[in-house]
Amino acid sequence: MAEGEKRPSRATGRCLCGAITLEIRGTLRDVVVCHCGQCRRQHGSPPSYTAAPWADVTVNGSKHLKWFQSSPDARRGFCRICGSSLFWEPMGSGRVSIAAGCLDRPTDLRTVRHIFIADKGDFYEIKDGLEQLPHSMMAQAR
Amino acid sequence: MTRGKTTGSCLCGAVRYEIEGPLPAPSACHCAQCRRQHGALGVYTLAPTDRYKIKGDRNIVWYESSPGIRRGFCRICGSKLFWERADSGQLDVTLGTMDQPTGLRIEKQIYLADAGDYYDPPSR
Repeated sequence: MAEGEKRPSRATGRCLCGAITLEIRGTLRDVVVCHCGQCRRQHGSPPSYTAAPWADVTVNGSKHLKWFQSSPDARRGFCRICGSSLFWEPMGSGRVSIAAGCLDRPTDLRTVRHIFIADKGDFYEIKDGLEQLPHSMMAQAR
Repeated sequence: MTRGKTTGSCLCGAVRYEIEGPLPAPSACHCAQCRRQHGALGVYTLAPTDRYKIKGDRNIVWYESSPGIRRGFCRICGSKLFWERADSGQLDVTLGTMDQPTGLRIEKQIYLADAGDYYDPPSR
């Protein structure tokens, strides 16, 4: 069984204003914190992402979901009403990264890794002892 | 405190700002509202509103997240930029949208009791 693919569960989530709600069946990947410059600007600080196959994700209120293509092969989804960051999608992968902050507690998730620390901002330190990678580990790492 | 002029922008560049003068050390907010909106901690510093110059403010969407509190984000790329208490004369700005280096360092963790369950919050 692959790392992080061990949690049969059903999770729910929503944006801050509630216009968009999520249901996720099946397993969610462990949480990864991304320190890249794009994430930092869009979220306002380094975000925590889990991930799942799109086929496991139901989005209600998707008319309120706005996509911004942030690089040639990836786009970011947010609520056009409240601005909540919900998704990072490596386009064409069939998978989506989901901002852990939008999930209802308890999430039963844990943070396992920091990525893109080569691009880390100067206003914080990482002191949790978790693994740190200078760049990405894989396309869907966020 | 940092000196001089601080610059920053959203991810797509439609909203840009300059802040004159010193800025206090930022706080990292663990509250549920910040967590949902940012998908991250809310890391902010602040300055009097009249020390800001904001370009492209027509691209800012303001969302009232509680009575008298609003959060500003870019309508094009969704970047979270500002947090404002009505009539305070102050505007909070996210550290993540500032150009590097910021010369600032988080000194305070707030709303730790509301922290997400997928990370171990710092002890203070």
